[in-house]
Amino acid sequence: MSAVVEFPAKPEARDYLACFARDITEPGWLAARRQQSMTRFAELGFPSRRSENWRYLDLQPLQQHPLLPARATATATDEATLRRRLSAVSLPDGNSRLVLVDGRFSPALSNLKLPKGVWFGSMAQAMRDRADLVQAAIEDNAADSAHPFTALNTAFFADGYVLDIAVELALDRIIEIIHLGSGATAGSFHTRSLISLGNGARARIVETYIGEGRYWRNDVVAVQLGTGAELSRAVLVEEGIEAVHLAQVDATLGTNSSFDGFALLLSGRRARQEANVRIVGEGARCRLDGAFLVAGNDEANIVTAVDHAAVGGRTRELIKGVAAGRGHGAFQGRIVVREHAQKTDAQQTSRNLIIGRRAVIDTKPELEIYADDVKCAHGATVGDLDEAALFYLRARGIPDDEARQMLIEGFLREAVEEIDDAAAREYLLRRLAARLARPEE
Amino acid sequence: MLEIKNLHARLNDGREILKGIDLSVGDGEVHAIMGPNGSGKSTLASVLAGRDGYEITEGSVTYRGRDLLAMPADERAREGVFLAFQYPVEIPGVNNTYFLRAAVNAGRRHRGESELDAGQFLRVVRAKLKLLDIGDDLLQRAVNVGFSGGEKKRNEIFQMAMLEPRLAILDETDSGLDIDALRVVAKGVNGLRAPDRSIVMITHYQRLLDYVEPDHVHVLQEGRIVQSGDKTLAAELEKSGYGTFGDPAGAAA
Repeated sequence: MSAVVEFPAKPEARDYLACFARDITEPGWLAARRQQSMTRFAELGFPSRRSENWRYLDLQPLQQHPLLPARATATATDEATLRRRLSAVSLPDGNSRLVLVDGRFSPALSNLKLPKGVWFGSMAQAMRDRADLVQAAIEDNAADSAHPFTALNTAFFADGYVLDIAVELALDRIIEIIHLGSGATAGSFHTRSLISLGNGARARIVETYIGEGRYWRNDVVAVQLGTGAELSRAVLVEEGIEAVHLAQVDATLGTNSSFDGFALLLSGRRARQEANVRIVGEGARCRLDGAFLVAGNDEANIVTAVDHAAVGGRTRELIKGVAAGRGHGAFQGRIVVREHAQKTDAQQTSRNLIIGRRAVIDTKPELEIYADDVKCAHGATVGDLDEAALFYLRARGIPDDEARQMLIEGFLREAVEEIDDAAAREYLLRRLAARLARPEE
Repeated sequence: MLEIKNLHARLNDGREILKGIDLSVGDGEVHAIMGPNGSGKSTLASVLAGRDGYEITEGSVTYRGRDLLAMPADERAREGVFLAFQYPVEIPGVNNTYFLRAAVNAGRRHRGESELDAGQFLRVVRAKLKLLDIGDDLLQRAVNVGFSGGEKKRNEIFQMAMLEPRLAILDETDSGLDIDALRVVAKGVNGLRAPDRSIVMITHYQRLLDYVEPDHVHVLQEGRIVQSGDKTLAAELEKSGYGTFGDPAGAAA
């Protein structure tokens, strides 16, 4: 059943609208919500380049060549091939691992064993087993109204994951989540996930996005941290060379909780990682660090927004970017300190390297402070490779090309080395080195 | 080993710094080049190592029969020329061991030898550390980042030991060192003296020469070598200062 258009739909939304259909197996609340979000997307259409939040990403090609939501089909790629691809981006064994292939949970490639008090599984499963939790999270997401791709995600998401950890439970194992694009179909993968940590709970997540072929990934993750809960989440984006990757995490931080987010963007035609953090409990701490490397004609964006709406919150951001070739990298970081959010301590640093004359970097820090007793600082730099360092390496016999690679890697490593968790850190450092060892396209 | 003839060099802004240097360094010899600040000592080291920013207007440098000035900096290093920096550069994010292994393997590839893997490299490192009597605390840190002045200079000598150059140019390696650090560094240099390795020490003071005894001493002033002699020349300089050799302004500097 196609939806009937009773409102002015943007032209670029029509193809999506045309393939929107109610799944009769889904509960009524979800159907209603999807319909509402579909309508919203049709009204909003794609963000224009004038939209402040999207000005550094070229969405024209995606707008002109729609990538419609991928249907649930048996993947043409055999399991052995998928396993081979996974092995490069896996942590040492023994972790709980959840794998999504083309936006859908793959039981065969996953290993979900976890202790009591933890619910971890696919979003599709959670909608049956944990309906109340999921419903609250999806209905709660206010971002739909302003953010067209979140609305599209709500309309179409097929799967994702849910991690729910009971009060006071600390997971010692790392949770590994891998989103794999098989390359079997060109289309869009809309995934919706939820991480919910009860009071005093602790978890570490490593989440990887990889794939082949032409696809658009539209990923939305909600994070809810109870009092004193601690979550670290390291994200690696190594999408296929034709892929569009738009991912968004929306986190709500309770009293004295701690959210430690890291995003490393290494490949993908257009990749955007957005983090929106709301500090609603007193004394919550937030770290949003990241690094990107763009080459060829690629684009990478890291976009952060931290809303300090409670007393005594602390934010630290260090984002390092390298643009080479005709690559275009951008960081947009917004920090808002509300009037009553006194004693907020926020620091944001953006450091960037431009390699060659045709690469572009944009960096745009934004501080909006309405409280009077706060410490807030931001700094941004854009520069070339350090000539003195380059000469030092060459004076030891290291050829020019190799010396430049070492300096680029060193520059990005510095950001990755800030990750506290050793396993996550080593994993990202290994992928970074592998990326730089790959010849430039 | 090294034959410098009538070498003239100027900065990119046109200022002439080297005004006709002649110097001949034989195999296994240790030469000291002394001179006041601004005499051109560090420029000479930079020009020999191939740093950008200088223009050679006249003269020639022949290294083991080849035109040194025609080679890019990294090739000179792979051919066995080593510069111990006056101000070693800090390189955040680049691990010292990783860097050094890349450097050693670049040289090995150049000579047609097989590259050392991590394990083989580590064994060589341990042997050299023992030889130089220095600890391995610097290895796991980023190149020169957060090193004290003494640690940086020690690291330079350690790199020299690892790279086993034919020609080592030590640019003010003694500057900024206390007496204990100087002893460690000097011990390292002495340990690296060899019949097929020549060393050119560039220094302002005689101090280093008390520990590393040179075969020849040269006085550089206003871009020229104004006097050459044996090690007694250094002692003489210590007593009388550079003023004896001409420009009193230079002596005051």
